[in-house]
Amino acid sequence: MPEPKITVRNLSKTYRVPEREEGLMASIGSLWRRKYRDVEAVKNISFSIEAGEMVGFLGPNGAGKTTTLKMLAGLLYPTAGEVRVAGFVPWQRKPDYLRRISMVLGNKSQMLWDIPPRDSFRITAEIYRVPRIELNKTLDELFDLLDMQAILAKPVRNLSLGERMKCELVAALLYRPQVLFLDEPTLGLDISMQRRLRQFIAEYNQRTGAAVILTSHYMADVEALCPRVIMIHHGQLLYDGTLHLLANQFAPYKLLRVTINDDSQIDTLPLSGGVALVAHEESSWTLHVPQAEVPAFAAHILNTLPVLDIAIEDPAIETVIDTIYSEGIVGGVQ
Amino acid sequence: MNLRGGWALIKGTWMSWLQQRSFFFLLAFGWMIPPLIMLFIWYTAASTQAIDGLTQNDFVTYYLLFILVNQLTYSQTNWTVGDAIRNGDMNLILLRPIPPLFYTVASEVAGKVVYMTFVIPVVVVLALIFHPALHPSLYQILAFLLALMFAWLLRFFWGYWLALLAFWATQANALLGIQDALIFLLAGQVAPVALLPGPLGVLAQLLPFRYMISFPIEILLGHLNTSQILTGFAGQIGWLCTTLIIFTGIWRNGVRHYTAVGG
Repeated sequence: MPEPKITVRNLSKTYRVPEREEGLMASIGSLWRRKYRDVEAVKNISFSIEAGEMVGFLGPNGAGKTTTLKMLAGLLYPTAGEVRVAGFVPWQRKPDYLRRISMVLGNKSQMLWDIPPRDSFRITAEIYRVPRIELNKTLDELFDLLDMQAILAKPVRNLSLGERMKCELVAALLYRPQVLFLDEPTLGLDISMQRRLRQFIAEYNQRTGAAVILTSHYMADVEALCPRVIMIHHGQLLYDGTLHLLANQFAPYKLLRVTINDDSQIDTLPLSGGVALVAHEESSWTLHVPQAEVPAFAAHILNTLPVLDIAIEDPAIETVIDTIYSEGIVGGVQ
Repeated sequence: MNLRGGWALIKGTWMSWLQQRSFFFLLAFGWMIPPLIMLFIWYTAASTQAIDGLTQNDFVTYYLLFILVNQLTYSQTNWTVGDAIRNGDMNLILLRPIPPLFYTVASEVAGKVVYMTFVIPVVVVLALIFHPALHPSLYQILAFLLALMFAWLLRFFWGYWLALLAFWATQANALLGIQDALIFLLAGQVAPVALLPGPLGVLAQLLPFRYMISFPIEILLGHLNTSQILTGFAGQIGWLCTTLIIFTGIWRNGVRHYTAVGG
């Protein structure tokens, strides 16, 4: 079996941050005597990712996602632990390594602002030593996929955010990296542009077999692209598996929506055994029902109440994630 | 070495800058003003009699050369390095499979060409008005060109290591301001170095700033004899080597620091 594209073993990163009390005196004092505090941004994380896998990186702001991504890309070196990406130790930043990876930061541009994207792409290709024939072929493909022929002659500064993001992706992919780090690639884009870019990323992944790590706060990105998610919270690895099982593990309940004919009878609902009322609108009621209870509970309602309509749904993934972030439930994490 | 990538970067910077020529012409114009003012001051001061043997015409020649050499050695990139560190653009540069120095050198080389398209015509017009006298020998021209190249390297790397202090201190650009003030005083801008009074004159010989602008001009004007030229080169090369050592040390430690604390 081939070696995984990305191997992370017991990775930790501790920052030393200067700290001082409020006020002028304290700031004068800190001129010659600084106090430091250690902040553990990433604690003992391990995972591995195969070629061709697309993995969503989840976690609230400040969870350690970006720190981890930066260590994988080679922009930070860890306090402890091992990382191998495409056979290299990232933070040595060997040119052969850098040619195999690509990082897209949703809030940072790697385009030259004053010239048209086509010129920018040519320069990037030269830096990555892409042979000209191969480059023309790749560019044609990418331009078609992203439908961007019309914007190629405008200076980048005159492009809309969505158009610019397309350019960022092309610049990141034109040398066909084997590993792709996408940090919030759809930040600030409208729904159809998000969908467009998602399709494109999926297609690139299928076509080239690149390993992709994606962070995004838009769950739609993750749902559409990543069969596997890794969740980090307080610097620790909280979950590594499918998105579906994440919901089951952390929110083992279903939403049951029921519409009834006669409001007065709603009082007879058996709100016990973990069943909870979460919303009520006119004659429609929404309940949390533990998964194990769902069949019996639904049967009970259908038998005892004048039901017009009933629906059983999974809780929205956003809700599940929000619960995890805010309540920090979960074994092993304070 | 990724020369192909380096050349592409130079072309890219050219393309970017030619989009906004007028801005760079204005910058170049701004840099020409102080030496022009000094030219007029010394020109007026020397109207009745020569000062320390320098006539009006000598001052005109000196300052027109000063404008050229100052432009050629001025490292505008020193001002942008600190910004790249502070705003995180350094991340993108570190992720490219090309030595980060290429980015700076590319914009340096591209800049020189853009500025020169503006500065040379202006100097030519001024020369036509003032008729400066300049009759260098071939030997002086060659020595001048060599000294000019070292002057640029020295000024570039000296400013670069100062700018790299931004890895540790956010306001490192202030040091570049101090450097410009020292250059104004000691590199031959406020007055030709030979006219600087006692201690200032000694300081000018000892510190690196004279070797960044004044030294090549002194060679071309024929103010220096062979032994003075050789001593000058020794000083220039000595400072260049020192600067390269400081630069290398600061770059290595800076990147290590940067990748330890995050951009």
